[in-house]
Amino acid sequence: MSSSWIQRWGALLSLSLLLGGCQGGLRPVNSVNQQLNRIGSSGSPSLAGGWLALIANRAGARAQVQLIDLQRGAPVPLMGLNRADSLPISVAVDQQGERLALVRQRDDRSELVLYRRSIQAAQLLPIEPAGVPQRVSLSADGRVIAVQVSRGGFWQVDLLELP
Amino acid sequence: MGCGLDPLRRQAAAPTGLGPESRQQPALSGDGRLLATLVERAGRTTVLLQERRSGTVLPLRQLRNRQPHSSPSLSWNGRYLALLVQQGSLRQAVIEDRATGRLQPLFLPPGQEPQQLSLAPDGQSMAVEVISGGSQRVQLFDLSGLLEPDRAPGLRQSGGGPGLAP
Repeated sequence: MSSSWIQRWGALLSLSLLLGGCQGGLRPVNSVNQQLNRIGSSGSPSLAGGWLALIANRAGARAQVQLIDLQRGAPVPLMGLNRADSLPISVAVDQQGERLALVRQRDDRSELVLYRRSIQAAQLLPIEPAGVPQRVSLSADGRVIAVQVSRGGFWQVDLLELP
Repeated sequence: MGCGLDPLRRQAAAPTGLGPESRQQPALSGDGRLLATLVERAGRTTVLLQERRSGTVLPLRQLRNRQPHSSPSLSWNGRYLALLVQQGSLRQAVIEDRATGRLQPLFLPPGQEPQQLSLAPDGQSMAVEVISGGSQRVQLFDLSGLLEPDRAPGLRQSGGGPGLAP
């Protein structure tokens, strides 16, 4: 093996390491991304444990919340969460994929909803004092919700501890 | 609508020390102990990290002069804060490691412009809403090998559950 050949491979290896460093270690998870690309337009991601919640906007269809099991690479059913009369705005999921917090628009008003997947139940969480919820975060342990609320001309953040 | 979950405990986010001001884009750590929000500081949208209960502000040393900030996202114990910062004319995804003080830039594939981030609680992956080719979509990236895990104490290996029968 000639020294020039070794030098060329050394240079190529250094270049790949350098480019790898420039990528900041970000490696696309192609198996999941192919599934995500099939959804079409999507946004508002929330990642926790092996779960990815997002809002899917299929062409010609109403936007809806999807929860993807990353081990299976497929969405799971969310019976009773997506309604024909509502439009999801922001979603967050917990580590177990059990609780989803959702801000949605329904009948010209925005509302905060907690969905529990094991019992397929959605519960309206009142905003007090009154305000318009916009964006939601759920702690991965599923016990705290932080929601951005428009109130009195300000954006504020309300915190709710869940039992 | 479904069964009750009361009593809920409600609180306003702890004050920032500057009186009433707008706060946006809340992000909780996985254990719910820390809260990141966006506030205005000298006319610049800046991320503020606080302990949720006490309101104590925690330092973020690497993010100055990189405003406007957006889309904060925290790992389980709050060791990692991922967010979008301004880098020249571009939005740049970065992660501040609060344990080491290191700022890790994250470069997306060419043609993908980040809009919103969600860091996995263990810091081993990240979902990014990107604009690519004029369309909006979510993409998942692997961060293992880049960040040490930031898992909950005693938490079993995270992963998708058995799910519900269709």
